Amino acid sequence: MSPTPIVTLAAAEKLLKTLEEFLDKSEAFFALVIDRGGTILSQTGRPPDGADITVLAALAAGSFAATRELATRVGESEFNALYQQGSHFHILMNAADDDTMLVTIFGKQTTIGLVRFYAARTAEQIAIQMQELRAGVSDAPPIFTEADLNAAGQVFEDIPPKP
Amino acid sequence: MAIINYANKEVQFKIVYYGPALCGKTTNLAYIHSQITESNKGQLVSLATAADRTLFFDFLPLNAIAIRTFKTKFQLYTVPGQVIYNATRQLVLRSVDGVVFVADSQWDKMEENIESFRNLEENLARQGLSLDTIPYVLQLNKRDMPNVAPAHYLDFLLNDRSLRVPSFECSATTGQGVFDTLNTVSRLLLVKFAREAEAAATVRARPTPNPMAGIAAGVRDHQTLR
Repeated sequence: MSPTPIVTLAAAEKLLKTLEEFLDKSEAFFALVIDRGGTILSQTGRPPDGADITVLAALAAGSFAATRELATRVGESEFNALYQQGSHFHILMNAADDDTMLVTIFGKQTTIGLVRFYAARTAEQIAIQMQELRAGVSDAPPIFTEADLNAAGQVFEDIPPKP
Repeated sequence: MAIINYANKEVQFKIVYYGPALCGKTTNLAYIHSQITESNKGQLVSLATAADRTLFFDFLPLNAIAIRTFKTKFQLYTVPGQVIYNATRQLVLRSVDGVVFVADSQWDKMEENIESFRNLEENLARQGLSLDTIPYVLQLNKRDMPNVAPAHYLDFLLNDRSLRVPSFECSATTGQGVFDTLNTVSRLLLVKFAREAEAAATVRARPTPNPMAGIAAGVRDHQTLR
């Protein structure tokens, strides 16, 4: 398993720029980079009204992983993309590398061919950026110490009174 | 594994509620969702069968305390407990940071508890993980039911390891012990995260030994002996 990336400010800007260029060229309206656990690494564009992006990311990761597993079990080793065609919104998911994927949502203003073409290229760019991110993991300073944690109190402050 | 996002000043963790079928994993998440303020929770998503049994997973994103300038976020997942869904459980365990093992306290569920616990160990091992290194706690659920085994018996069955972990007597339907469980596993997780980061920083701060120094000393000693 690859080490988990730490999204630095510079890396976040680079990922965002890549996604913005992708949306510009593909005419899709929303793009999201997530890790295989469903955590959002970057996003841009306009999501469908009322869509909870955190939930969308978790479901996309689960859906992609399940379909990839299905493909493996029928003897298919190649599985790079998953496409859901709807009546208003379409979703394309591309594997960037083993731990990262690109999720694109688009509508009638563009075509699957155009989105698929640019998504494949963008996924390759993301894979390179993720490699660079992982290479820098060991240099990251601690963001908090155990003493900071002890001073912070309960992790969840919304604890209801005991029944 | 945790993800640190410097752009959003966030650190995110994934906690999985694991246990046998009908032990109360989904009920835990439903109770937590009902008690957390709107601003600190996302939607509770359940991918369930028509009979309300978990098919893939339940998912609940939560915001927790800020430590220094970083917000902490936790994503809670449950796995489907039914034996046939093992492939799905393996998928949900991907990138897990912490585990809550929910045991059903009723006497007739002991075999299922043990089987599920072993299954957890096996599925973690497939990812190169182990309960010796991953933060986890035991939740002894359904303490409000008749015919439950004593807590120390469940502890003997599931917690008789070199490293004994915290265990909580709970009733997820009433909420008893639910937040104690969640707060403990999330704190264990944050402590591990902080310690690992501090240890890595300490190692980096040490002066790098000159690899040639030992060779030079060896050459000198050799020359002296001659």
